[in-house]
Amino acid sequence: MDIELIKFMFMLTTISLYFNVAISLYGVVSKTNLVKKLIALTIFQDTVNMFTILIGYKLWRPGLLLQPPVLTDLSPTSETLREFVERSVDPLPQAFVLTAVVIGLAVTLFLTTIILHVSYHFKTVNVDEIGRSKRVYIHEEAV
Amino acid sequence: MLRDLVFASLLIIIILALTYLTYSGGLGDLPPRDVRVIASNYLNLTYNQGITWLWAASPEAVTAIVWDYRGLDTLFETVVFYGAILAALTLFRSVSKVPEFVSSAGLSLVVKRVTAIVTLAILAVAASTALHGHLTPGGGFQGGAIASVAPLLLLVVFGKQFFIERRISYSKLLTIRNASLALLGFTSVALLILGFLTGFQAYIFQNQAKIVSTLSYPPYLLDVPLGGSLFFFNLFEFLAVASGFTLVFTILLSRDETLRKELEGEELGY
Repeated sequence: MDIELIKFMFMLTTISLYFNVAISLYGVVSKTNLVKKLIALTIFQDTVNMFTILIGYKLWRPGLLLQPPVLTDLSPTSETLREFVERSVDPLPQAFVLTAVVIGLAVTLFLTTIILHVSYHFKTVNVDEIGRSKRVYIHEEAV
Repeated sequence: MLRDLVFASLLIIIILALTYLTYSGGLGDLPPRDVRVIASNYLNLTYNQGITWLWAASPEAVTAIVWDYRGLDTLFETVVFYGAILAALTLFRSVSKVPEFVSSAGLSLVVKRVTAIVTLAILAVAASTALHGHLTPGGGFQGGAIASVAPLLLLVVFGKQFFIERRISYSKLLTIRNASLALLGFTSVALLILGFLTGFQAYIFQNQAKIVSTLSYPPYLLDVPLGGSLFFFNLFEFLAVASGFTLVFTILLSRDETLRKELEGEELGY
């Protein structure tokens, strides 16, 4: 495989992730349905996580075997350790994403319960309708 | 409509600018030729038996970073996770007090048998992911997230009756979750307390012995690397994540009437 090709594919992936971020942000801002907003938000989360993993990757070169940051030799010599450091991809972005994923899931569950609450209360999940009904109520109160 | 159009064109302009910057090398080499210095330090030290005052006794570098080198960060991230689940539970706090009398028979026999087998497999994979988190890719977070799928499946396929019959109640799950979070906190200060009692010096979140403090979690269990405190952190995080998610799933899959009760007596409008 050609290294230039790999670099080009990485560039393409990065730019496609920018598009993904843009589309999901557009969904969060312009959709009026709260559930659709939530779906767009989860896509946004996953795109950012994917991007973080991507920048921890390492350029493949002929003669270099890439491996995850897990040492398979349980009594390593300095030679195996050197080889491990040379082959392994960056563990730091993986460690960040690891916690971000679980917290993202917890926040998503929290938002789901809020949306459930809102849907029971206002009998709709459309933010425009919710805003309108609140305005009517405030107006009635003022009168 | 105009607002959407303006926003969309703004996003397109931002994407084009970012694309140009990335293409002209704004992010450096993509992908980088080598890992950063800090990453190669972590990789070099995580299971380096020659430098045991800096190692984490874990062949898996990600778990070593998550629970040892940057352990305090992860503790606070766990607090965020705890808070989000707690907030979700608070929104439906009365659901826990309402005893549910449902008589759902669940899905058909074929689905039930298949689910029973698959559930066992899910739990086995989850336990292996969590308990071998310091040896193979995985850890408490991932194991807990995998394990929480099993009760979700059971809730859908067997019905809520299945849980009630087996006395898997809201308060029990909450107790498991709180206890494992408390144990997680205790694991982080256990060596510090031991240091106070024995007169040695120790740190919060200390795992292996350092030059100035000789207290240490056991690095091996019968010649298999244990990762010291990493094993305990993974175990307790696994229990906390699995029970926390199961709690929220149980509430989200409650009956509509039970959930609506939460809003009874409230005035119109927030």
